[in-house]
Amino acid sequence: MNLLLRRLRADLFATPADGALSLGLIALISAAAVGLVQWACQKAQWAVIQANSTLFAVGRYPEAQQWRLWLLTALLTAATGVSWGLLRSHPRADREGQLWPRNDRLVLGLLAAVALWVPWALRLAPALQSRWWLLAALLGASRWLAGRFGSHLSRPLLRLFPLVWPLLYLIGMVLISGGLGLMPVPPSQWGGLLLTLLTASFAILLCFPLGVLLALGRRSDLPLLRWSAVVYIEFIRGAPLITLLFLGQNILGFLLPGGLAPDRIWRAAWVLTFFAAAYLAEAVRSGLAAVPKGQAEAARSLGLSYPQTLVRVVLPQALRVALPAMVGQFISLFQDTTLLSLIGLLELLGVARTVMANPEFLGNNREVYLTLALLFWSCCAALGLGSRALEKRLDPQTLSQSASRP
Amino acid sequence: MTSSPSNLMIEARGVEKWYPNGYHALRGVDLTVHRGEVVVVMGPSGSGKSTFIRTFNALEDFQKGTIRIDGNSLGNDLRQIDAIRREVGMVFQQFNLFPHLTVLDNLVLAPTLVRGRPRAQVQAQALSLLDRVGIKEQAQKFPGQLSGGQQQRVAIARALCMEPRILLFDEPTSSLDPEMVREVLDVMRQLAHEDITMVVVTHEVKFAEQVADRVVLMAEGSVVEEAPPAQFFKNPKHERTRRFLDQIL
Repeated sequence: MNLLLRRLRADLFATPADGALSLGLIALISAAAVGLVQWACQKAQWAVIQANSTLFAVGRYPEAQQWRLWLLTALLTAATGVSWGLLRSHPRADREGQLWPRNDRLVLGLLAAVALWVPWALRLAPALQSRWWLLAALLGASRWLAGRFGSHLSRPLLRLFPLVWPLLYLIGMVLISGGLGLMPVPPSQWGGLLLTLLTASFAILLCFPLGVLLALGRRSDLPLLRWSAVVYIEFIRGAPLITLLFLGQNILGFLLPGGLAPDRIWRAAWVLTFFAAAYLAEAVRSGLAAVPKGQAEAARSLGLSYPQTLVRVVLPQALRVALPAMVGQFISLFQDTTLLSLIGLLELLGVARTVMANPEFLGNNREVYLTLALLFWSCCAALGLGSRALEKRLDPQTLSQSASRP
Repeated sequence: MTSSPSNLMIEARGVEKWYPNGYHALRGVDLTVHRGEVVVVMGPSGSGKSTFIRTFNALEDFQKGTIRIDGNSLGNDLRQIDAIRREVGMVFQQFNLFPHLTVLDNLVLAPTLVRGRPRAQVQAQALSLLDRVGIKEQAQKFPGQLSGGQQQRVAIARALCMEPRILLFDEPTSSLDPEMVREVLDVMRQLAHEDITMVVVTHEVKFAEQVADRVVLMAEGSVVEEAPPAQFFKNPKHERTRRFLDQIL
């Protein structure tokens, strides 16, 4: 206790000016917090969220087919748990990993609490509530299993495991849109968080390889390639996304081979992809510039070919450097999906606007916007957490300090 | 050292190089190195000695003259260049270890990727090489966690792991703290007694005296003097060599 007091004093009240600033800030923060809690508990009418929770989650996706989305969510949850566990059971070669670090227990506990509380707060039917609990249990179980038995996995199997994710993406596309014996659900019926996540993940996954190629093109020795990349990047970066979105609705049908952009949603997703790729290319380019020339020289002098040098030596280092900037791009890309509501798509913000236009829920804008903000925030926080963990794992520098000295 | 033509490992004739900005870096350099020989190249900075040995594995191009490595001539044929690079290892001033790979993987990468050898076999060889240069226990660490001298020894082991016939050293001790120079030179000394052909750009006079079969002085882009170390250091023929030795001794 004494220690805590001393620490508080050192942190908050070291000098009179510090003390005054601290007191002022504490007063301000607590006033805001009290106001928010009072409003949220007493005045706010959460019925608007409770009544429309399905709409927010999946839009007008037919109810009879929603089991497909639950299945997909379960698959993604299991894959997340297994990946997470494998990361912990295979620490870096140079360090002792913990199977259950404190942060992991904290995050898992938090997720379990959310899975218990949110369905209850939304007044979901008991059957639906129990599905959320099952998902939380699935995450914990797959995390535990992969952590406990992951070290028995053979090396080739372990290397192949990341392929589960692109595979899951394809499975997800089939589950969502139908086909292969499943009843087709046209894109016009997708909406809400489902549509937001779908367009965002589509754009994030595709803009990454495209951005890397553009960055390489921009540094190429071939003038035609270099100039094409420069023109593309500068053109895209010079135009506002909303203009490109409207433009894309009108011209993408001609530019892309038929079938790739059959309707408004895919056209918008491609525009997001092309847009993000230009910004990503600049992030990757700065990463490439940070890799010393000697790295490529060493690789070439060992006999590695140009592609081998690029893939095994230069890119891993460049992408590691560019990682924070790239994740920043992904986060803003994720938020840019809200612009789709302006071209009439019912992603999260679009759904929210239709809900708020409903006379039954007039005057409930604050509840709706706050919910949206929380949803977006938690998705971006997850992206940020993941990227920081990845950064820590890939960074050779953080470890040199803790390395045992001879 | 016998000098039958089949023993010629490096044969450079009239090599000239201009940099894109017009600077004439190499002005007709000749050099022959035989199998198993250790040749030390010395010279003031800017004399073109690093540029010259970097042409041997095509890290630098040249505009005139010919270079033959173990009978294969270096030209614009990319496949030929890749084949030559496999036989010519290089150790750099800045080590240039791959920081994102463990020490062991630094060694294993090229033999598995380029020669297609099985990983387990290369790993065993890599460990014995690391043992030879005295850092086997660091195999699972990352290069950033090692001292400069250790890193350079890993770099030598990495080059050896490809089993090259020629090993080039480009000022291998110039960016090391003085107390680490010796551990690297000791490893190089060991290597010099083996079958491998070495061309070493360095300022380490003692190393050259003890180990080199021949010492070459380069200045202003050409070879000024070429002699066995005893003669080179005690009794140089050229005024330019004498001036250079005065400066470094």
